[in-house]
Amino acid sequence: MTETTITSTGPQQPRKLWTMPRWLTSEHPFPWVFPTTATLIVFGLYPILYAVWLSLHRRHPVTRENQFNPEWNWSRVFADERVWDAIAVTYMYTSVAIVIQLALGLAIALLLDSERRGFGLMRALMTLPLVVPPAVTGMMFLLMYNNSFGVISRSLQHIGLMGTDTPLLATGSTALWAIMVADTWQWTPFMVLIMLAGLRALPKDPFEAAAIDGANAWQAFTRLTLPMLSKIIAIAVLIRGIDLFRVYDYVKVMTDGGPGTATETLTAYAGKIYFGSANFPYASAVAILTLVLVIITANIFIKVFKVRF
Amino acid sequence: MRAPWYLVTLRYIAAIFVTAVFMFPVFWWGLTSIKPTRAIFNREQVVVFDFEPTLENYRVTVLGESPSLIESGASMGTGGENSFDGRETIFDSIVIAVGSTVLTIILAVGAAYALSRLTFRGSQLYLNWILSHRFLPPIAIIVPIVFMFRDLGLRDTHLGLILVHTLINLPIAVLLLKSFLDDVPKDVDQAAMIDGATRWQSFRLVVLPMIKGGIAATAVLCFVFSWTEFILSLFLTSEIRTLPVKITTFVTSTGSEWGYISALGTSAMLPAFIFILLVQRHLVRGLTMGAIKD
Repeated sequence: MTETTITSTGPQQPRKLWTMPRWLTSEHPFPWVFPTTATLIVFGLYPILYAVWLSLHRRHPVTRENQFNPEWNWSRVFADERVWDAIAVTYMYTSVAIVIQLALGLAIALLLDSERRGFGLMRALMTLPLVVPPAVTGMMFLLMYNNSFGVISRSLQHIGLMGTDTPLLATGSTALWAIMVADTWQWTPFMVLIMLAGLRALPKDPFEAAAIDGANAWQAFTRLTLPMLSKIIAIAVLIRGIDLFRVYDYVKVMTDGGPGTATETLTAYAGKIYFGSANFPYASAVAILTLVLVIITANIFIKVFKVRF
Repeated sequence: MRAPWYLVTLRYIAAIFVTAVFMFPVFWWGLTSIKPTRAIFNREQVVVFDFEPTLENYRVTVLGESPSLIESGASMGTGGENSFDGRETIFDSIVIAVGSTVLTIILAVGAAYALSRLTFRGSQLYLNWILSHRFLPPIAIIVPIVFMFRDLGLRDTHLGLILVHTLINLPIAVLLLKSFLDDVPKDVDQAAMIDGATRWQSFRLVVLPMIKGGIAATAVLCFVFSWTEFILSLFLTSEIRTLPVKITTFVTSTGSEWGYISALGTSAMLPAFIFILLVQRHLVRGLTMGAIKD
């Protein structure tokens, strides 16, 4: 590139006894990237490698010492039914929530994309759920779901959609969906914002041409809006999907994986091993499995939908 | 082509309804925080407006006053320390969020500059490597970090949490700052360098002032992410508590003090609300790490 040649035309510096090696000058990327790289290695890469290393150890049941035994945890992970349950719960949660949040986000974005009075305010209000700490969101819904004085549960009971003996979060068939409602409340605005940005950036001409050719609103949406938004939708789904896969806060606060293991996602299970039995090597194995599944799933998605940052 | 009046009306009704649905949980939460305990725990009916508003919950949690005996439920011990005093937690949260925001920006701006202005072998790979940390499940690094912090004496310290929150924020900040730097034409700093400035001088004196707005937006997002972070704070601390973790400790087996929980929860949301409204313009870019510009 040209940058390097340009700076050499600068004024001559007086000769010094010791000149800085080039890789320490601001011309070289090293000093620029070093602080970030070092931080990410110390607090990111090293802990991951350490966790992998730890997962290759067996915790002795009596002495609690870690002995090198590479097969122990990994054969246990794949034989552990709770792991398979957790994988199923995690994929189910992620895939259903992503579809709902994307569909709602797109619909609400289309609804709010107007220059009329008040719509700007409504768009601003829609961003507020995004800044509520997810743990607090969990608490909000915990309060509203309370079976004896929670506003949602009592309303559902009142109109007969729910029995008083099946608390939403303590019933296996509803608990995961109840958590998903909290997640959807918090993160649909994320989709709305991104879709609004996408809609704003669309060129006007194709729509005018389509209107002249007699296309109706639905045709314009499916043939023009959706294809032109596809790149943005792919990025949004990728970011949101990975975050859904890592879900922890809502589960921890609202059910802690219960009732039974009905809402136990992979991260929740790893956290439980950590807090419960303190079997760090096994907790690490489950956590690393989560990481591997994230990487594989995300990369398949990136390849299929050709996402690029 | 103007839409007929009934379609416009219908759209208003739908939009207001949707916004109201999304505002409701926050509204209900705020309402709960000013209810007296009796109204919150009314099993006969869900109390909406039929109560005497009180600031008791805020006095106890934010100002640290002892709960008055009449209002406190049976689950509260009388006398002794006020375990719902949130003042220390608020202080801890502010120190950690501000500390990690400042550290993140200082570290990230360099890498962002290199990625935007310098061409080096493997820069795309390096970018992807940084980005991958954004998607790391925190649970995967918690155990080693707990060990590491124990050895370094960083457990239960502000510095420890500042460092891990910096790790969480760095990938977002680097990519976001890079996208703001990419908006500044390269001619600008090249002109400065032709005039004899070193790259460092052109960065500090020319480029940096031009991305002030971008740095502010990045800082706000980092602050909010640190402020709302839960899982790492939960695992790495027991004495120092950030607000989200502290609030969850109010749920106990003997009964949850929803008045105090909602009061502290509302207080925790307010600064983030205000900050995020300040950076509305850059929110989409921030949430997608510069991939989508509004």
